[in-house]
Amino acid sequence: MTSGPLDRITSYQAVMFITNFILGAGTLTLPRTTTEKINTPDSWIAVIVSGLIISLIAVIILKLCQRYPNETFYQFNQKLLGKWVGLLLSLTVICYYIVLSAYEVRTMAETTRLFLLQGTPTWAIIMPFLWIGLYLVQGGVNAIARLLEIIFPITVLLFLLVMFLGIELFEVDNLRPVLGSGVKPVFKGLTTSSLSFAGFEILLFIYMFMKEKNNITKVPLVGVGIPIIFYTITVVIVIGSISVDAVVSQTWPVLTFIRSFEITGLLFERFDSLILVIWIMQIFASYVIALFIATLGLNQIFPKSTHAFIYSLIPLIYLVSMIPKNINEVFKMAEMIGNLALYLFFIMPLFLFIISKVKERKYEKM
Amino acid sequence: MKWRKLNKNRMKIEESAKKAKQDKQPFQESIKEMTGNLTADLNLIRKEIGHNSDVEFREFQMGTTGIRIAVVFIDGLADADVINKHILVDFMSASPKETGHPLKNSSLKEYIKNQTLSVCGLNEVHTLNDITSGVMFGSIAILVDGLEDVFMVGGAKAKTRNIDEPPTEALVRGPRVGFIENLKDNTALLRRHGKDQNLSIISFQVGERSKKELVITYMKDIVNPHILEEVKQRIDKIKIDDVHDSSYIEQLIEDNFLSPFPQVQSTERPDRVMSALMEGRIALLLDGSPFALIVPVTFHMLLQSPEDYYERWMAATLIRILRYFAAFIALFVPSLYIAFISFHPGLIPTKLIFSIAATREGVPFPPLIEALIMEVSIEVLREAGLRLPKPIGQSIGIVGGLIIGEAAVQAGIVSPIMVIVVAVTAISSFTLPHYNVGIALRILRFASMLFASVFGLYGVVLFFLFLCSHLVRLKSFGIPYVSPAVSYRLDDWKDFIIRVPLFLMKRRPKLLHPKDSVRKR
Repeated sequence: MTSGPLDRITSYQAVMFITNFILGAGTLTLPRTTTEKINTPDSWIAVIVSGLIISLIAVIILKLCQRYPNETFYQFNQKLLGKWVGLLLSLTVICYYIVLSAYEVRTMAETTRLFLLQGTPTWAIIMPFLWIGLYLVQGGVNAIARLLEIIFPITVLLFLLVMFLGIELFEVDNLRPVLGSGVKPVFKGLTTSSLSFAGFEILLFIYMFMKEKNNITKVPLVGVGIPIIFYTITVVIVIGSISVDAVVSQTWPVLTFIRSFEITGLLFERFDSLILVIWIMQIFASYVIALFIATLGLNQIFPKSTHAFIYSLIPLIYLVSMIPKNINEVFKMAEMIGNLALYLFFIMPLFLFIISKVKERKYEKM
Repeated sequence: MKWRKLNKNRMKIEESAKKAKQDKQPFQESIKEMTGNLTADLNLIRKEIGHNSDVEFREFQMGTTGIRIAVVFIDGLADADVINKHILVDFMSASPKETGHPLKNSSLKEYIKNQTLSVCGLNEVHTLNDITSGVMFGSIAILVDGLEDVFMVGGAKAKTRNIDEPPTEALVRGPRVGFIENLKDNTALLRRHGKDQNLSIISFQVGERSKKELVITYMKDIVNPHILEEVKQRIDKIKIDDVHDSSYIEQLIEDNFLSPFPQVQSTERPDRVMSALMEGRIALLLDGSPFALIVPVTFHMLLQSPEDYYERWMAATLIRILRYFAAFIALFVPSLYIAFISFHPGLIPTKLIFSIAATREGVPFPPLIEALIMEVSIEVLREAGLRLPKPIGQSIGIVGGLIIGEAAVQAGIVSPIMVIVVAVTAISSFTLPHYNVGIALRILRFASMLFASVFGLYGVVLFFLFLCSHLVRLKSFGIPYVSPAVSYRLDDWKDFIIRVPLFLMKRRPKLLHPKDSVRKR
């Protein structure tokens, strides 16, 4: 794997990393997961608020990384926490990303089976997907960055286009009353809506590869900002069109919404499978990034390792992705990942940041 | 004097030369120096190349001096005009007595160089090897009795064809000029096309056995030195006995031999080469090949035509968009057809699916087989039309297109909609301005059809992801193949899918990191 010092990515590409990693399989269930706890149409407020909080954490992560410009999280956490604790943390993070990529792949397979390929076994859907990801990851961080730049405009623009095609179903009444039950339910939903932004922590790993290292506060801000806008549009349109009750009862509310309208006169009349096919690319992006970070971690923790690690990760991800027996277990897996992410990337960066500040103070005193 | 047919007594001479050699020197080194003794030198040369029937030896005397002179050349390759009108006339009419110089060695040499020979290209060589190789490449060797130096005059005068418009890259508007097989003419074309003192033409020799001249051309003050160095290194690494055409060079210097995409652009048009040089690219021209190679190549170049710049920007932009669209059709339409018909008929509008189903009623094959039958037969037709002489080729097209297509539908082997799909695909692939891009897309189309037949739309997406993964990994001389599409550089996008008006194109493409980035002020 090429992770040498010559492999640099631009600020745009860093934004693409953040945005594409946040937008993953979770988008298709986003209106449901955010609304389930809130139970009012106000989940879009929760999305915006949690997005703003996440941007703050992302900026803190950037500040943390700027202290170690030529190291990734895997390397500098040992300096902050000591060798063994750091190693343990790194391994946990690697496990997290393996499980995460397995989850992305499995969700993709489940939706594909449901909407596109009814008879095809899950393993047959997953395997080629894994292999193509492996092929890409071998190209290194630059190749991934370029792929993200190709995928992002296609998926996001087409997704939004299709969402707006269904605008005739939109009724403002479905979104009213705004804050009808007060601010409390919104606060309750903040945790779940924050989890939909998991992926912002990618800066911990790719900051090392960035060409420009200073004055780039806009990178995490834009990187998280795009998903905020995207999520808000999705939540508002889906809830506004099919109402809170329908959103909560549907497994894939976004697909249900798209299925509920037909446009005659165009080449296609129904768009649900179409949007799913396009969204597969987005899931691929998330999966590839997770795979990349996991292999990067293994390479940096065990410096002697070569391609063997990448190859051995693929069967591992496959096995993990086949653990859940059905779609409900997949969602449980998602919940588990979310909880892990909460501790790993919402609280830990703050913690590390404080430690690094304290250490800095110490040195100053000395 | 008369021309001598020396081949007849070749054996004799060889024997005598052998004897002479045995008598004088016990063994000679592989580098044989000229002695200055005309008879001995000629014998040496005869022994080396005299067995060839086209090598001619002509001996005569220099004016009134009686100094013997011999001319060695290859009949048909060397310029006979030079021998007749210059060398023979000059030497035979030379009258060195007027100058009053005693004609011994150095002064004789100076006299010949300064006052006798009226030709421009003149080299002096000493070794047998230089002489024989020079003569073999078309130079005329002039041996003067008493001089160790041998004068080599001129180079090969090849019969060249006229400079026509290349048939493979015809344009509606633009210069009607194409490269030919002669390297000197080609470099002259470039010089004439771009009157720029920074245009550098550097010569290399390739081929271990049959040595050919290869030149790399670039703009000295624009080109990125790293890319230039890389190109030079790759050329130095070429170790092959013979390079028949510049396509050999292309295959020997490309980055990834497993990729279906051409990583070197070949063109017959000097204007195209010139505009590439102006962008900071490098062109390679090989003697004997009318195809110049342009490196590094990025994907968008392969969908561009020089006409994009000769037409006004609106037309050019629209045609470019059309070309991208056509490339998409050529690549994906058959696979989308297979995916929709065999996996997702529900996605097609109801009326359309009914009419498709009605036409497919009698077809006994699944969509993949149906598509393969038609795609393969159209590839066969295309290949057949290419090999046949033009008039027959056209009739093959009619026979294939009309009769086989129509008959296949009537016989119920394929559905009419399949014929439409295949026809649209084929026509679309003809809009691509480069033949080898067309081939790449043809290969990939079959791959994408296979993906589609196994996984439907999901397969098409998988194929797209695979294709993109391959493209983003591919590099041409260190430049990412997919630029400028990604690594968003908005400046370079002015000349990507949209071709903005010329007055807005103020910078050269940044992706090559040119030294001088300003195109227009």
